[in-house]
Amino acid sequence: MGKLAGKKLVLLGERDGIPGPAMESVFAACGADIVFSATECFV
Amino acid sequence: MAKVAVKATSYCLNHAPEIGLLYGNTPYSERIANPDSEFLTGLAKLAQPYDVACRYAPNRTYVGAMSTAELAVAPKPYMENLAAAPERFGKFGEIMPEDEFIGLLDICDVFDLVWLEKGFAASVKEKLSSHPLMTETQLKRIEEGHEAAAIEAECKEHHALPLYLSGKLVACCRQGHDTDENLSSHVLLENLASKAGATLSLLHLIKNAGLTPADIDFVVDCSEEAVGDINQRGGGNMAKAIAESAGCVNASGFDLRAFCAAPVAAIIASSSMVAAGARKNVAVVSGGSIPKLYMNAREHVKKNVAPMENVMGCFAVLLTESDGQSPEIRLDALGKHTVSAGAAPQAVTSALVFEPLQSAGLKFTDVDKYAPELHDPDVTVPGGAGNVPEANYKMIAALAVMKGQLEKGAIPKFVEERGLPGFAPTQGHIPSGVPFLGHAREAIMAGDMTRAMIIGKGSLFLGRLTNLADGASFMVEKPSQTVAAGSISREDVEDVILEVLGDLAGRLGACSLDSKE
Repeated sequence: MGKLAGKKLVLLGERDGIPGPAMESVFAACGADIVFSATECFV
Repeated sequence: MAKVAVKATSYCLNHAPEIGLLYGNTPYSERIANPDSEFLTGLAKLAQPYDVACRYAPNRTYVGAMSTAELAVAPKPYMENLAAAPERFGKFGEIMPEDEFIGLLDICDVFDLVWLEKGFAASVKEKLSSHPLMTETQLKRIEEGHEAAAIEAECKEHHALPLYLSGKLVACCRQGHDTDENLSSHVLLENLASKAGATLSLLHLIKNAGLTPADIDFVVDCSEEAVGDINQRGGGNMAKAIAESAGCVNASGFDLRAFCAAPVAAIIASSSMVAAGARKNVAVVSGGSIPKLYMNAREHVKKNVAPMENVMGCFAVLLTESDGQSPEIRLDALGKHTVSAGAAPQAVTSALVFEPLQSAGLKFTDVDKYAPELHDPDVTVPGGAGNVPEANYKMIAALAVMKGQLEKGAIPKFVEERGLPGFAPTQGHIPSGVPFLGHAREAIMAGDMTRAMIIGKGSLFLGRLTNLADGASFMVEKPSQTVAAGSISREDVEDVILEVLGDLAGRLGACSLDSKE
């Protein structure tokens, strides 16, 4: 558990960068509380 | 199963800055929310004319007026280093000006949706009559036109969308139904524009292949438009409508949709039909997207950068049974992003690049050029999305390092040698690898390249049915077996048989003599 344990997170991912689901799996494993996650496409 | 060749390609751009100012999604949405905004005023001031589009290096590369190798060493920023003279035509296609594109909309309209102002109709008909690919049949489709007052009334009273040139009303696109939003003038303008762009590309493809429209057997459209009414939103077959407009009387077709991954998916599906013998040849086609015109322009205006998202991209690729000379599509080693593959960049790159290479017994360095998202960085960097192709190349190189196929220090060289500069307009499905297929075909046939990998990715999550993205990839390479040009005659076959029989008779005679001794 790191600094993000118990913190509420809003995640905005990008398809050709780091998508939302990829960040979700990392931060959830750190014990963070993910309140919103989405992926957008800017191209 | 037959091998499948990339027999010909075509790439065109439709310059549409005034359509973009009105109906590109970003300015359109802004106009509804804040009609007097600084963004809209600034965008109109920064809009670039046709001659700039024809002198802009990424556009010239897209239509084949310059090579990707020339673009790689072209001075940047591209807008400050425009070509001395505008060039409309490249070896793959053309950059069509907006007035002719509006005329082409009318040619492709079979439901009296597009009304042209009388004076404009006459002038655009005259202009298009000197176009090298427009036939009498197509030119006859341009209407005589309507009075400007009638067009204004149609816009005010019946929800038609006005179309302007230099600020003057020259045409409108009417609605197809009073209440069905799927046939609104807005939807129909987008669909007609995609159909028109694809038709132009198909005409160039037929010319580039040295064929006639009647030679085309099947057409597959892979654009991002939904064609249908209230009972079948997205019912489709834009492809057959395009085939009709291009005069492909012996063709039928269907559509394939997969967001921006659709062109790669369509080429794989169409190649499979040719390989199976189900279709003699397939033209994979797509027109461009009106909503994506000026998509990132908010940031461009803020930074006082020329907004170059003023062209709609379109292309066509002809797939046939291998002729032994044209590059072939490998159907035995395709990249597939499965449901369970995961969304992390490493997982996506592994599915689309590493796994097909592994299944073909190839290494990362066996591919001369990778073609992932080929967005023009002069548009995406100031727009805030970064250099998209470069990011993809770094990821491919990093994966090669992880797989022990590349030294970490060799990443920059790998990116430089096996990557490409982005040159495609930010039109969603258009930049997804396929713009390189024409250049790759030329390089492979010239003996300058052995193999390229074309990679498409699609943002399925935008449709709100899944959080997944998708992707697909294929390799195109020099033909496995070279056959001399021209057909083999009966006499050629007889000569070979006689030569073999003579050789055999000689050996039998020698054996007979040996046995007597």
